[in-house]
Amino acid sequence: MNVSMNGIVKSFGANDVLRNVDFSVKGGEICALLGENGAGKSTLMNILGGVIRPDQGTILLDGKKHAFHSPAQSLDAGIAFIHQELNLINDLPVYENMFIGREKRKLGFIDHQGELEETRALFSQLGIEIAPETPVSALDASYKQIVEISRALMMKASIIIMDEPTTSLTDPEIERVFDMLRTLKKQDVGIIFISHKLREVMEICDTYAVLRDGVLVSSGEVKDTSIAQLSRDMVGHDVRTAPLGRIDAIGEEALRLEKLTLEPYFRNVSLSVHFGEVLGVTGLLGDGRSELFRAVFGDLNGYRGRVVLEARPVQIKSIRHALRLGIGYLPRNRKENAIIKDMDILDNGTIVRYKKCKRLGLISRKKQLESFDKQKKELLIKMGDPSDPISSLSGGNQQKVVLAKWLMTEPKILILDNPTQGVDVGAKEEIYDIILRLAKRGVAVVVLSNEAQEIIRVCDRALVMYHGDVVSEVFGCTMNEQNIMRLATGG
Amino acid sequence: MSETAVKNAPIGESFKEKWQKNALYSTGLVLLIMIIAQTIALGFDYPSFGDWFSSWGKNWINILRNNAPVGIVALGMTFVIISGGIDLAVGSTLVAVGAVMMILINGNADGILTKMGVEGVPAFAIGIGAALLMGALIGLVNGELISRSKLPAFIATLGTMKICRSVTQHFMQTVGVKVPRDFTAIANTKIGGEIILPILYWLAIAAILMLVARKTSFGRHVYAVGSNERAARLSGVHVERVKALVYVLSGFLVSIAAVINIARIGSMDYANAGSGYEMDAIAAVVVGGTSMSGGKGSILGTVLGMLIIAVMNNLLNLVGVPPFLREAFKGLIVIVAVLLQKKEKAS
Repeated sequence: MNVSMNGIVKSFGANDVLRNVDFSVKGGEICALLGENGAGKSTLMNILGGVIRPDQGTILLDGKKHAFHSPAQSLDAGIAFIHQELNLINDLPVYENMFIGREKRKLGFIDHQGELEETRALFSQLGIEIAPETPVSALDASYKQIVEISRALMMKASIIIMDEPTTSLTDPEIERVFDMLRTLKKQDVGIIFISHKLREVMEICDTYAVLRDGVLVSSGEVKDTSIAQLSRDMVGHDVRTAPLGRIDAIGEEALRLEKLTLEPYFRNVSLSVHFGEVLGVTGLLGDGRSELFRAVFGDLNGYRGRVVLEARPVQIKSIRHALRLGIGYLPRNRKENAIIKDMDILDNGTIVRYKKCKRLGLISRKKQLESFDKQKKELLIKMGDPSDPISSLSGGNQQKVVLAKWLMTEPKILILDNPTQGVDVGAKEEIYDIILRLAKRGVAVVVLSNEAQEIIRVCDRALVMYHGDVVSEVFGCTMNEQNIMRLATGG
Repeated sequence: MSETAVKNAPIGESFKEKWQKNALYSTGLVLLIMIIAQTIALGFDYPSFGDWFSSWGKNWINILRNNAPVGIVALGMTFVIISGGIDLAVGSTLVAVGAVMMILINGNADGILTKMGVEGVPAFAIGIGAALLMGALIGLVNGELISRSKLPAFIATLGTMKICRSVTQHFMQTVGVKVPRDFTAIANTKIGGEIILPILYWLAIAAILMLVARKTSFGRHVYAVGSNERAARLSGVHVERVKALVYVLSGFLVSIAAVINIARIGSMDYANAGSGYEMDAIAAVVVGGTSMSGGKGSILGTVLGMLIIAVMNNLLNLVGVPPFLREAFKGLIVIVAVLLQKKEKAS
């Protein structure tokens, strides 16, 4: 089946997500859909998958016009969307998962025998070596992918959309999924492969399309392009590289990691951060940077290797231990990890400092206010009354409250994981200023981010991670978006 | 009130708004209506205002005194539920700690301490101490099962609930049910001509716990853990310890309730003491505006919730609703209270 999407336009409010995008894929072809976060890839595929409807534009299947109002309609037309979070029921065997929602019935009961046989037939046709009776929970991530793909085929899908299928897979697992994709290709199935990983794209894909800010910037045959060209297309040429040019003396070594390993997240990571320095760590989803620093903060246990704090080796046992050692950690995903929604602004901002806010053994609201007010002024937090709910604040101000909480602990080392996630542009710049001020004051700051621009904006140097390994260090003129993107995609 | 809001609104309105925003606004309102209805039901057919007032007051003392033990249990339950858990074992804990005390001291003079020649106040002190320790211990077992072994609170406390009551009943078949006469002074000493000690215990504990909830790290951490366990952990809160401690506190308060209960009645019914306490306590907590999903609630709310249920029960009695039917009203008010809270949240 040939799919072609023509002149697709979609905006959410004032935000133009897709501007007149043309995209097509043929049966028997693996097409890479590329772009940075927010480039519009997911929106485009959600339109094809019937999850959302375009404002303008047409979808043609084999030349015939179609409009999808729901994922079910799109599936009926032969288009299956395999999301990053797989849609399998872990406690059921593989064959039952294959028929979820469309169970085969015999006399009103589920026809297990029939389901088993059909699954077996399909698996042997595709050369899959999974016993259909195996519970899904016993499969590794790659086999789960494979089960999900074969389920799509069972539903007679002829176009399969895969959203970053290799993110959570190890190298041999990726090979296994790729073998499956090659088999499908021979059977004339068309595959849309959404990915960040250019090395994989070069290996498996036939054609490509690159989106940037909702516009199709390039497309064609993979054999006519290169990793360097693709990363340039993804980032664009008008790259802003404002070097820091900080002349402040960087101090003693604050934190050193020696061959830190915690499978399956990261391996043999060695790095060092100095007081007064801002170190960036970047990479794409699944690079292990968050897990690495969660281990340093005592949130993930059981790492191997050595952590050296101010020239003293330490074994970090728990979060409270890390706190005592002067490490602060602003987590990613504010809503899940940082915001205590039922507590007010003041409590959210002072929870790590209750001990210091006491009078006669009881927490004193006045003392809480005193120490919070200082941070509020410094961070320019715009808020009503401190006893208002934290949810009354904008994303940027919520993030500043979380930041205030950590600054109150006067950390020697501050780890910021995606510090500007869900924050508007103005607040973003303010947070960058705060980071730089902290460094000036001698704090060792580590910024984890998936945005190359952010890394370039605030970091003195940066490490790029790929699949749990530090692949390179960039600084000065090597710290530019194209280079970071190339390294982060494994190029 | 923030400065801007005060500026924008006339003082009177902002005060009213402030009241309506208070989480306990509707709870207080319901209680007020209940009290008015109950007062009307009690009637005004008295020769003088003094007579009416003393009868009204005596009725109130009765209500409060009868509900003091379960009221104290509900205070502990509040912490447990705010932390995101539940304690079904409170009723059985009450009977188990009561039994421990009865083994040490009882009116048949076959208590262990009595046989050892320890009597009077020292014996009572040891007996009560043992009861408090036992209550805290049962709480600790619950707490460890939930926080360390990661059992769902419902399951862990359902288990200890069954174990405590069954073991107590089995081993207490031959132990006396009466306490020494002097022991009853703990609850029954008259103050101002009335038996109000249980009420004073209840209110004193409520006042202390209000401070604990609002003004101690432990109290604030309970809210944090119930609201967002992950964020609390990443803020350095010792989540396991907080989770375990709320059950220890609950068990400890149950022991206090047990002592008051036994002293009040002078004896203990090993089969039935404390039965149904868990549901009555949960009802009071929920009616008092504490969220079953954790993170939200207050001690004052639970006291009001307990009063609402107690006054309603009294009212039903006054208007002649048969005893068996009264439980139905209790069920109804729990459902209505939560429905109202849901509606309030949505608006």
